[in-house]
Amino acid sequence: MKTETLNDTKGTAQQEIDFLSGNEMAATVVAQMNFHVMGYYPITPSTEVAEYLDEMRAEGKHQLKMIPGDGEHGAAGICYGATTAGGRVFNATSANGLLYSIEQLPVQSGTRMPMVLNLVCRSVSGPLDIRGDHSDLYSCLNLGWLVFCAKDPQSSYDLIAVATKVGEHMDVRLPSIVANDGFFTSHQKRRVLRFKNDKDLQDFIGPYKYIHSSVDPNTPATFGPYMNDPDQINNKKQLSLAMHASEAVIDNVFAEWEKLSGRKYTRLATYRMEDAEAAIMILNSAADTAMEVADRLRAQGKKVGVVYPIVLRPFPAEELRQACKGVKALLVADRADVYGANGGAMTLDAKAALKDDPDNKTVVFSRIYGLGGKDYYDLDAIEMFNLALDAADKGFAAVPYDYHGAEPGDVTYKIPAKNPPIPKEKSTPHVITVEKDEKTGQLVVKGVKQRDLTAMPQRIAPGHGACPGCGIFPNIGTFLKGIEGHVVMLWHTGCGMVVTTGYPTTSFNVTYIHNLFQNGAPTLSGALEMFKERQRRGEIPADEDITFIMVTGDGGLDIGLGPALGTAIRNHKMIILEYDNQGYMNTGHQLSFATPMGHQTSTSNVGPFETGKSFHHKDSAQLFAATHIPYVFTAAESNYKDLIRKAAKAQWYARNEGLVFGKLFSVCPLNWRHADDIGQELTQSAIDCNFFPLYEVEHGITTLNYDPAEKGQKKDITEWLGKMGKTRHLLKKENAAILDASRKEIDRRFERIKAMSQHPLL
Amino acid sequence: MQKLPIVNDLGFYEIRMASIGGFGANVAGKILGEAGILKLGYNGSNFSSYGSEKKGSPVAAFVRFCAPDVAVRVNSPVTEPHLLVIFLESIARNPGMLSGVGPDTIVILNTGMDVDAARDFLGLAAGTLVVIDAMKIAVEEKTRVNTALLGVISQVTGFITHDAVKEIIEETFGKKYAATVPANIKTFERGTKEFTMKKFAPDGKYQPQAFSRAGQKLGYLNQPIGGVIPAAGTSMYKDLTASRSGYIPVLNRGKCTSCGECDITCPDYCFEWAGETNKKGKQEQVLQRIHYQYCKGCLRCVEMCKFEALTTHVEYEVDKHIIEKGYVNDIKETQK
Repeated sequence: MKTETLNDTKGTAQQEIDFLSGNEMAATVVAQMNFHVMGYYPITPSTEVAEYLDEMRAEGKHQLKMIPGDGEHGAAGICYGATTAGGRVFNATSANGLLYSIEQLPVQSGTRMPMVLNLVCRSVSGPLDIRGDHSDLYSCLNLGWLVFCAKDPQSSYDLIAVATKVGEHMDVRLPSIVANDGFFTSHQKRRVLRFKNDKDLQDFIGPYKYIHSSVDPNTPATFGPYMNDPDQINNKKQLSLAMHASEAVIDNVFAEWEKLSGRKYTRLATYRMEDAEAAIMILNSAADTAMEVADRLRAQGKKVGVVYPIVLRPFPAEELRQACKGVKALLVADRADVYGANGGAMTLDAKAALKDDPDNKTVVFSRIYGLGGKDYYDLDAIEMFNLALDAADKGFAAVPYDYHGAEPGDVTYKIPAKNPPIPKEKSTPHVITVEKDEKTGQLVVKGVKQRDLTAMPQRIAPGHGACPGCGIFPNIGTFLKGIEGHVVMLWHTGCGMVVTTGYPTTSFNVTYIHNLFQNGAPTLSGALEMFKERQRRGEIPADEDITFIMVTGDGGLDIGLGPALGTAIRNHKMIILEYDNQGYMNTGHQLSFATPMGHQTSTSNVGPFETGKSFHHKDSAQLFAATHIPYVFTAAESNYKDLIRKAAKAQWYARNEGLVFGKLFSVCPLNWRHADDIGQELTQSAIDCNFFPLYEVEHGITTLNYDPAEKGQKKDITEWLGKMGKTRHLLKKENAAILDASRKEIDRRFERIKAMSQHPLL
Repeated sequence: MQKLPIVNDLGFYEIRMASIGGFGANVAGKILGEAGILKLGYNGSNFSSYGSEKKGSPVAAFVRFCAPDVAVRVNSPVTEPHLLVIFLESIARNPGMLSGVGPDTIVILNTGMDVDAARDFLGLAAGTLVVIDAMKIAVEEKTRVNTALLGVISQVTGFITHDAVKEIIEETFGKKYAATVPANIKTFERGTKEFTMKKFAPDGKYQPQAFSRAGQKLGYLNQPIGGVIPAAGTSMYKDLTASRSGYIPVLNRGKCTSCGECDITCPDYCFEWAGETNKKGKQEQVLQRIHYQYCKGCLRCVEMCKFEALTTHVEYEVDKHIIEKGYVNDIKETQK
C-alpha cells in the first residue's frame, strides 16, 4: 500500500478533484486547451475521446472543429492538411486504425508538422481483438514521432499538455503520440486533478506559432516537394537532430509542468531502484501493478525495483544506463512481440542502451505478456520479480525469452463440430424460379412463398449474440432465403461479425471469412477469382457452384467505400450487401456518413450548440449504380417478398453477369432508441415517408418498386422520426429548419429516383 | 468520513457487479464510484470489463475504494470481492460467479426467492446474502434493476451512504434523461427497503470457490492455427435465456396457419419447421415450436403474427414445461 497526498495546491495553478477515465481526461485537456481541429475516425477503445469532445462541444465548452474522416487514413489526411494551415491539431486512434493511417505518419513528421495523437493502445488484428496491448504502439516507434506513455488517466491529461508544448518548440517541430492502455486506462475512472481555469493551460502552451502556413497568400510556400538523394538523407538527419534536441526541451517542459501542476515527470521513471539488484522494466498501466508488488517484496527484504519509460521516443538510453548501474538482472516485459527478434521492442532498446555502457553487467531478458488484453495481476508481477531475482542470483537468465501467460490448453479437447455441411440438394428446395424473358430481356421471378422457403436450411445458426430486436439478422436471413446452393460469405468488421464469431464458437453453417472493413470486397473478390482459377485448372470440379456474398454495415462502406467501388468497377461475379443502420453501432453509435441529417449519435450530439449530424446521408445505392454494374437494389425486411425476389435476381446476375450491390434498411433498437418489437413497422414508416425508396437498377434502368403516394400510404417524415429516441428532438419547434431541410432533401432524392424510373435513359 | 469496514492487503474495499449488457451495471458502477470518491471523499477506481457494446452480452463492473491517502495502483479485475452484486438470477450460476467470495463477503442477488432458497440456488459456502426482487420493482416502476440494487447497496456496506448515492443518481440521470429521475429515485428508495439479509457461517454445506485462471481448453498446443474455427454453427450450443427481460412469446399451434411470417422477422432464428403431409396428401412446411434457448424476448414475432398465434406473456408466469416444449395447443395451457 502506497500513501499519496492529494494536494491540489502543490502547483501554482488552481485544480479541482474529479473522477474520470483516461478517455475523459484526454478529451478534457484538449477541450481546455481549445485545439483548432480534430480529424478522427471512431475505433475502440479510443472512440470515447471524440464522443466526450463532441458532447462538450454541443454544450459550448470548446470550439474544436471536429471532422469525421471516411476512415483513419482520411482522418490522418485531415489532420495533416490542418497542420499545414497553422493551427493546433488533435487525433485519437487505436490498433488497426493507427496502422491504416500509418503511411501518413512519416509524412507528418518528415514535413515537420507538430500535432498530438492520443493512441489508446489496443491489440492489432487479426484475428480481431479489441482489448489492450502494445502491438499498435510498437509499430510506430520508427516514424519520427515523439512517443509519450501515460500509465493512468492523470498522466494522460498531463502528458497531452506537455506533448503539445514540446512538439511545437522551435528546436523540435515534431508530432507526438501520447499512448495509454486501452480499457485499463482509457475506460478506468480514477480520482484525478484537473485545472480549474482553462486559461492556465492555454498560457502554459501559449499561442500556436507556425513556421510556414499553407493559408497565408502573402508568403507562398511549397509543402512536400519531390525530394530524392542527395537531399532526403539531410531531411532525415534534421529529423534525428530534432528528436534528440527534444530531450532537453522535454526536461524543461516537465519542470515547468511540475511548477504549474505539482506533478513531477521524468523521461524514465524509476521506482525503488536506488539499490535494486533485480528489476522489471514495463510500460504503462502494468507498471503500477509492478510497483505495488515491488513494495511488498521490499517489505520482505528483497532488493527489487521498477523502471518505466514515460518517453519512449526518444528512448531514454542514458537514463536507463544510470538506473541499471547496480542492477544484476533486468526483466523487460513487453506487451507486444517483435516476432523472431527474441524480445519485444523495449527489450531490444534496453539491450542496445546498456551495451553502450562498457561497465554494465546487467542480465537483460525478455517476457512477452498481456497480449490481446490479458489482464496483468499482481500474481504476474510476483512471478516476474521471482524470475528476475533468480537471474540476479545465478548471473544468467534460465530462459532468456519467453511468453508469460500463454496457456498450452488441454490437448485432449477438440472443438465440437455441431452441424454437418449443408448439402446442395437441401439448399436448393426449388421453390423459386428465375427466368429471363427473351422478348423483354427481363428477369421473371416466380414462387416467392415464405412458407415454402422455411425449408431453406439456415446458413446462419441461432445462438448469435445480437441485441434483442436487431434488424441485421431478419434482413440477411430473409435475403438468404432467396439464395440457392452453396454460399461463401465474407462479413466486414461490425455488429453482425462480432456477435456471430466470438471465439471459439461460430454461428455460420457455411464458410465465412472476416476481414477488416476497409477491405472486405477486394478480399472476397480474391477468394472468388482463386475459386474460378482453380476451377479452370481442373483443381475444383467444373460444376461446383458457389455464390459469394459480402456483408457490410454502412460503416464498412464509409471506410471501405473506395475498395468496394473498385471491386464493383472490376465487376466480379459476387454480391455486396449493405445493412444500413445509420451509424457505427459496434463501437457504440457514432455517426456514419449514412446517418441522416439532424440525427443524434454519440459524435453528433444534441445541445445548445449542436443539433445532431450536420450533413445529409450518403446514398450508397446511387454510388454503386454509377459503377454500371448489372444490378443494384434497395430492399427492406418489411417488404420481404420484394427482398427475396431481389435476392433471387441478385444470384442470377452474380452467376451470369457480374457484381450486385444491395442496400438493406436495418433497424437498431439499442441505438435508435425504440422498442425491440417495432422493427417491421418502423422500417415501413421510413419507406412510406420516402426516406428509403425501394427500387432496383438493372443494366442502368431504374424501376421504382413501391411508390407510397400511389398506394395512398405516403406519410410525413415526422411519423418516422417520432418513433425513435435519436430523432425526437427534431420534432421540436426550434428544429423546424433542420426538419424542413431534411424533408426537402428526402423528397428531392425520391422524386429523382421516380423520374429515373419513368425514363429509361436517366 | 466513515472508516472502510474491511479492506484487503492493499487497502481496498472491492466490489464486483455481474450482469449482462442492458441492465445498467456499468452505470451502477460509475454511480457508486462517483458517490465514494466525489461525495464521500475516498480514493478509488471504477471500470467495467466488456467486449462489444451489445445488449445481452456479459458485463462485469468493478469498484475499488481506499482511504483518501492510499494510491490506486491496481488495474486488474476484482478477484476477491467484499461486495458481489448479481444483477440477474439467470447468470447467477455461471461458472466463476462466486469465485473469491469469502465469509466476509456480502452477496446481493436480484431474485424473487427467499434468502435460504437463494443460498442453495447459488451454492454459497459462507457470507452475508441479500436478496431483493429488483426485476419486479423495475417492471413496476418502468426503470432498470440497477437503481434498485443501488438502493440495497446504500444500506448494507456500512460506508456507502444513502444520500451520496441518491445525489449521484440525480446528477447522472438528470444530465441526459431528466424525465426519468423521479422513477429512478423511487426505484432506489424501494431498493433501500425491500430486501432481506442473512449471514451464513461456513457450515460445510457448500465449498468456497477460489479465484483461478487455469483451465483454458484451447491453448497454443491445440488451438487450430490462424484462429480458424473448423466447425459450423457451434453457437447452437449457447443458451441466451439471460438476454430476456421478463417477457416471452408463446406459440399457440391451435391458431397457427404456418404462414411463415414469424420466421421472416425473428432475428434469432428460434422457429423450428418441418415438412408434413397435409390432408390432401401434399407436402407442406409446418411450424413446430419456438426454441427458447435462443429467444431474447424481442417480441417481433408477436407484432408480426396476424392470427394471434403468437402472444406476449410474463415469463415467470408461464409454466416451465411449456418453455421446454416450445408451444401450446390452446392458450389456456399457459394459465397455471
